[in-house]
Amino acid sequence: MFKIKHFIQQSWLLIVVSFFFGLLIAAANAAWQDKIQQNEEGKFETIARELLTEAVSFETAIEKAEVQSAKGKKINIDIKKAIAADRKCVGWAFSCEGSGFADKIKIVLTVDAGLEKIMGFGVLLSNETPGFGDQIKLPYYRNQFLGVPAEQLKLAKTGNSKVIDSEIVAISGATVSSEAVVKIINHYVEQVKKQLQNKGLVTNDK
Amino acid sequence: MTNNSKAEAGIYKETLIRGLWRENPVFRLLLGMCPTLAVTIAVKPALTMGLSVVFVLVCSNIVVSLIRNLLKPHLRILMFTVTIATFVTIADLFLKAFVPEMSARLGPYVPLIIVNCIIICRAETCASKNSLGISIIDALGMGAGFTVTLCVLASIREILSTGAIFEIPILNLQSQGGWFVPWAAMSMPVGAFITLGLMLGLVNAVTKKQAKG
Repeated sequence: MFKIKHFIQQSWLLIVVSFFFGLLIAAANAAWQDKIQQNEEGKFETIARELLTEAVSFETAIEKAEVQSAKGKKINIDIKKAIAADRKCVGWAFSCEGSGFADKIKIVLTVDAGLEKIMGFGVLLSNETPGFGDQIKLPYYRNQFLGVPAEQLKLAKTGNSKVIDSEIVAISGATVSSEAVVKIINHYVEQVKKQLQNKGLVTNDK
Repeated sequence: MTNNSKAEAGIYKETLIRGLWRENPVFRLLLGMCPTLAVTIAVKPALTMGLSVVFVLVCSNIVVSLIRNLLKPHLRILMFTVTIATFVTIADLFLKAFVPEMSARLGPYVPLIIVNCIIICRAETCASKNSLGISIIDALGMGAGFTVTLCVLASIREILSTGAIFEIPILNLQSQGGWFVPWAAMSMPVGAFITLGLMLGLVNAVTKKQAKG
């Protein structure tokens, strides 16, 4: 009893203040969440348009498709169909995420219409170390993914980064961040492929 | 004006000016070096960082000053950290909602305001010992000093690395038929260290001259 009384005497202010601060953050989050969401969607579309240059619009093919993160957590993502001017499907775009070196890395991944090739990725969110891990945003790393087969990619510490194959050359000094991107892509491409095949949007033989 | 109110106005003025020069957080106290070196590549991110720090500094000083008589000495740092973290989270959400490009450009440096020594230093040395008025003025002075310093460093670096200020070209670049060759080093960390070092040297020289005079 004395211990509880002592604990409350010492920490009541911290408990009260934390409660009010929690409410304050919740209110700010509730007020601005829609705007933040809109900004993220806008950014998603901008990145997807840069990667799938033929696309003139994006339609949601599967809304809230359930996929598993690398840690086994179930998350919902929207799989978007990229439509060209002649209404043909020119690819698919979706966001995926995983753990990086410093924090979560969130990327927009694009694949071709037949899910055979990766058309590139763009970074939506990354707090990787400036000058090291944040080089995953730079073209010299991202360009390695342009046109690689949409299958299991491997990370190599050395090699020629200009050769387009399933071997991705890591950024010097940022192996963990480089590996995180490769893992995220490997993990999501497989699941998205299954989702699209199950819905009959992509045939199994492709 | 009575003598008391005159003295009070004098204290407020002195507190405000202190942060701008005599106790400038960057040049005199050498606090907040991480954002000073990292975000001064251009004026826009430097100004955004400065204003975010002003917001957090003012809000945290208000809260700390209001609860100063209730603080337990051994829990005060914990209280300061909780307070600062709350306002940094709000500032981060605001930037994400209304200035998303700048939020993305500043990246992890906005959440890192939580560990900015200027804020915890002002909470400990000023807000936890002074009235609300003095705490707000101190936060404004220190925040303004930090923002102005960041903008000065960023202006020098932006002009020398791109020939522009606020992204508005002011020097004729050689690539466009002009005379100015941009100094690539100024956009790199080495440029931040050199500019800060030179500015610190200049401020020290001016201070010594003032002391002699």
